[in-house]
Amino acid sequence: MPGRNPCSEPGRRLRSVAAPAIALLAALAAGCAREPAGPAIRVWCQQGQEAENAAMRSMASAFNQAHAREGIAVHLTFFPDFQYTEKVSIAAAARDLPDVLALDGPTVARFAQAGLLRPVAGWFSPEELDDFAPTILAQGTVNGTLYALGAFDSALVLYYDRDRLARAGVTPPSGFEAWTWDDFMAACARLKAAGFDPVSLHMDESGDEWFTYAFSPLIWSAGGRLIGPDGRVEGVLNAPENAAALRRWREVFARDFAARAPVDPDPFGNGHTAMDWSGHWMVRSHLAAKGDRLGVMPLPAMGDTPAAACGSWCWGLTRDAADPDRAARWLRWVTDPGRGIQPIVAANGAVPARRSAYRLFPEYAHPPFNLFRHLQETAGRPRPRTPAYPTLTRHVAAALRDIARGADPRECLDRAARQVQARLDRRRPAP
Amino acid sequence: MNPLTGRRRLIPWLFLAPALALLGTFTLVPMLRAAGWSLTDADLLRTGSAAWTGAAHYSDLLTDPRFRRAFFNTACFALMVVPVQAALAFFLALWVNRPEPQWRWLRTVFFAPVVVSMPVLAVLWTMLYQPMRGDQTGLVNALVAAVGLPAQAWLQNPRLALPAIAFMSVWQGVGFQMMIFLAGLQNLSRDQLEAATIDGAGAAQRLRHVILPAMRPSIAFVLTATLILSFRLFAQPYLMTRGGPEDATVSVIQFIYETTFLGQELGRASAAAMLFLALVAGLALAQRLFAREVRS
Repeated sequence: MPGRNPCSEPGRRLRSVAAPAIALLAALAAGCAREPAGPAIRVWCQQGQEAENAAMRSMASAFNQAHAREGIAVHLTFFPDFQYTEKVSIAAAARDLPDVLALDGPTVARFAQAGLLRPVAGWFSPEELDDFAPTILAQGTVNGTLYALGAFDSALVLYYDRDRLARAGVTPPSGFEAWTWDDFMAACARLKAAGFDPVSLHMDESGDEWFTYAFSPLIWSAGGRLIGPDGRVEGVLNAPENAAALRRWREVFARDFAARAPVDPDPFGNGHTAMDWSGHWMVRSHLAAKGDRLGVMPLPAMGDTPAAACGSWCWGLTRDAADPDRAARWLRWVTDPGRGIQPIVAANGAVPARRSAYRLFPEYAHPPFNLFRHLQETAGRPRPRTPAYPTLTRHVAAALRDIARGADPRECLDRAARQVQARLDRRRPAP
Repeated sequence: MNPLTGRRRLIPWLFLAPALALLGTFTLVPMLRAAGWSLTDADLLRTGSAAWTGAAHYSDLLTDPRFRRAFFNTACFALMVVPVQAALAFFLALWVNRPEPQWRWLRTVFFAPVVVSMPVLAVLWTMLYQPMRGDQTGLVNALVAAVGLPAQAWLQNPRLALPAIAFMSVWQGVGFQMMIFLAGLQNLSRDQLEAATIDGAGAAQRLRHVILPAMRPSIAFVLTATLILSFRLFAQPYLMTRGGPEDATVSVIQFIYETTFLGQELGRASAAAMLFLALVAGLALAQRLFAREVRS
């Protein structure tokens, strides 16, 4: 736990080189002795923005206070989400998983298939489960069994600055309408002519997941898929319509409407950029920076298939949980509308995972938040659920990065599809 | 000579024991386990239930285009880095090998990048290599443009990305080799050099006939060490290009890392690691034999 080490006192008095080692031993000993009854519920979660981390920490202390009499406590450990999957894999191989684990929606299938997760439906009543959004249930379900539940869903939209669009003579669509891809490109051209950087696509993201998450909706809206219903990737990911869609996407960079290698993580907030292709996690900071000037619309569509990105971090109980009943208390706590969903959604601006939670958020009846809810309920489409997802997202991201800097979409998708299909073909059947 | 009695025979082993225990636990055992896994379909998340596959991973890897590309990239990187870094380090060492204290700071300057963490340098150099784009132009391109050459998208161009990373790596590591050469130079006999000077040898002749022969052990060590270090390429491309563009900077270590932790194919990754070990060990051995040949 950052910033809190009850055991550093004895170490401070020693002045020898052994002091750190002794302090560590003392910390370990005290750590074991401090717990009132039974070990704490060990929880791993990804490190988000500071507001989210603070919300998680206060949720944990509220949980610990409420369960103090029963001697149940939770111990949170934060990890950066870059390389999070790798860290979980290492812990799984070492048989050292925590009791409860936060995971990104698309990775649920892989961890469930490897037998690392326990079914969770048993700790919720049918009415409670029915209260969760279908997208949340879908992302946590593998072969008909529910393995993970989240407190919130994500939303991916096109933010814009009303003043900047007006100065370029660009009219945004009204209501929940989206631009066609041609409308979007025409708007970019006018914005560029007016001296703005048209749009930020965050190509500097260090992780791979942004690319798959952010640009799959374009492929879907054009009628394409990343993976076929039979689980095949070769011939599906590299289908001609996907290459055609990405060839149109590549124009954004060829015409310099978006930076290929940006250095500023938020050029919409800090610079001259007029539009931001980004998620719910930016809504609070954009609102604070722009106030009424902030507009929001769905992503432009390349075809008629309604497709919006969704899916987010969720919680699972692990195989290594010593006492699943105790661990499930935390799962129920973080997905409870008032105790779990309210604080985290207030911090990150995501879409509440349960319908009954909306009464706690009057702002979801108005823009920009009502668009998030609308997209999730009408067009939300989870990323592919396949045990090879980490490999898939790695190669899709590599292909998108290459296409953005001018490479041929067909070749890039062929290469990605071959690698992912080979991985799938080498897969052993589940035990 | 007295043959060692039982007790005296034991004593050296007692002194060796701690080192052997560490070496065994952290090098030998993992290596043997990896060799074992490489013949199975071990899954990182279910290591308990691996089935025998024989040499299947090996034959599959040798035809995998991405693995071959990774090997090719790593070999190219070593070919670029080893000669340049060793030669540069040698001349830097000759340059700063002066007793006056004011030269000390220059040695510190050259050595400084060695002690800075590689991820920090990778992030810095990513910014230095930024392509030309208004006020976001990187310093390298600003310099290139200032001398009238065309600016380049260094890390985004498949042909330039690996050389750009090699350049940055030479800059980062050259101080280490320089220090080794410097130590060698300071052991050089002054008398020999003075004698050569009195005999009328110029700087080039002194270098060729006195300094180089005396420095042979340092040179052999530096070449072997640089070769092995350069084959361990990972952090720079992983952080600067993620192996792109178009796999132009994927290294063998990155391939092994991704096969282990993203593909979670422990068996296949172990097979890749064994092939890699065989290559690096073979090269190091060949180099030692060659060096011995030259010496004798």
